[in-house]
Amino acid sequence: MGDWFMSVWKSFEQAFLESDRYIAYLEGFKTTLILSFFAVLLGVAIGLIMAIIKYTANHMEKNIVISVLNWIANIYIAIIRGTPAYVQLLIIYFIIFAKMDTSPIVAGIVCFGINSSAYVAEIIRAGIEAVDAGQMEAGRSLGLGWTQTMISIIMPQAIKNILPALGNEFIVLIKETAIVGTIAVRDVTKAAQNVGAITYNYLPPLLITAGMYLVVVIILTKLLNVFERRLAQSDRR
Amino acid sequence: MIDVKQLNKSFGENHVLKDLNEHIEKGEKVVIVGPSGSGKSTFLRCLNLMEKPTSGHIVFEGKDITEAKSKEVNQIRQKMGMVFQHFNLFPHLTIMDNITLAPVKLKLMTKAEADVRAMELLKRVGLEDKAQAYPAQLSGGQKQRIAIIRSLAMNPEVMLFDEPTSALDPEMVGEVLDLMRQLAEEGMTMIVVTHEMGFAREVASRVMFMADGCVLEQNTPEEFFKNPQNERLKDFLSKIL
Repeated sequence: MGDWFMSVWKSFEQAFLESDRYIAYLEGFKTTLILSFFAVLLGVAIGLIMAIIKYTANHMEKNIVISVLNWIANIYIAIIRGTPAYVQLLIIYFIIFAKMDTSPIVAGIVCFGINSSAYVAEIIRAGIEAVDAGQMEAGRSLGLGWTQTMISIIMPQAIKNILPALGNEFIVLIKETAIVGTIAVRDVTKAAQNVGAITYNYLPPLLITAGMYLVVVIILTKLLNVFERRLAQSDRR
Repeated sequence: MIDVKQLNKSFGENHVLKDLNEHIEKGEKVVIVGPSGSGKSTFLRCLNLMEKPTSGHIVFEGKDITEAKSKEVNQIRQKMGMVFQHFNLFPHLTIMDNITLAPVKLKLMTKAEADVRAMELLKRVGLEDKAQAYPAQLSGGQKQRIAIIRSLAMNPEVMLFDEPTSALDPEMVGEVLDLMRQLAEEGMTMIVVTHEMGFAREVASRVMFMADGCVLEQNTPEEFFKNPQNERLKDFLSKIL
């Protein structure tokens, strides 16, 4: 038994401490976080615009500009949600960005940002639609304009519907960035693969990497819970 | 004060309001009754353009609001308070903020002025201790009274009530009707869609019977309830009285 523990410890020491390999993990981890952070920002920005277009098209009088934008948004969402992120990554890096001298990290941010935006758009739209229609009517009946009602009355309530699903989307996105090694970005998963290739022992580095993702996801979940509790203030009875 | 001319409203194939012509004077208390699906709520909701009429005109204080631009519509709505069946209080705001939101956002009052006005109104309905509560903490009757004073905070010229007591437990109907009765006594112009016949009899200056998108009969409450002429109205009254 003692021998077994000893050998497990050895293999982890070799995978993490020997030759300062932990630096590779930390560098990779940093890349994963930067990639995820900017991808999330991009995803929310594009997603929000798509959501507003779709909501406006469904709830306001017919308007040719909005109809065309809505049509584009629907096709965009259908394509992005209907194809694998892995394939999108390959297309964006090797075909669309091929001629430009783009850093693979930027390509990764664009790819995951676009991928996420389609899901975020639906999350935000559904969150707004879930607010009772009477709220808009009440705001308008008091003389507030559509935009004013949207900002002061609808959105603060919609955020409560949006936040849990959006948090979930962030978590999915962070884990999904693990495929970015395909386009030679040295994220934390790629770092683990590299270490495994050197030591001929893949299990310890992969477990270390898995642990790192797990920690981020747990911290994020806790943060979201704090936000949700704050937003639930008005639900007290 | 309000002139309705040849008002029509259709939802797709469904012709809900058929060529309505009505005139409502300042200070009148018009109670609209009728079977469900008769178009009474739709009629009320057309008056402040919550529903856009398919054709016809609505003239409010000399201005044709069916032809107004959206900015003007917003201004007209400030003068027409509306109370809904399901209260529609803003659940994310305190009672105080529910009342002060519109006057402050529309720059009709400063926050301080609006707070003073809101407190006055809350005292009037005996709910000043609920100023910092959230709507979820109130009973149905309390919510509806807050909804009414939220509209009053805008100092409207006319109040539209869309079945204000239909979603309430029976024991809470009285407190809401009492407040509406007080408003009527103060001379507020009121248009009320309701099933409360006692309220109609007592408060209305005119009772209107609607069925199938038409006004079939209207009269003073005494005549309306004692001497109904229209067969549909007789049938309706026999079922509910």
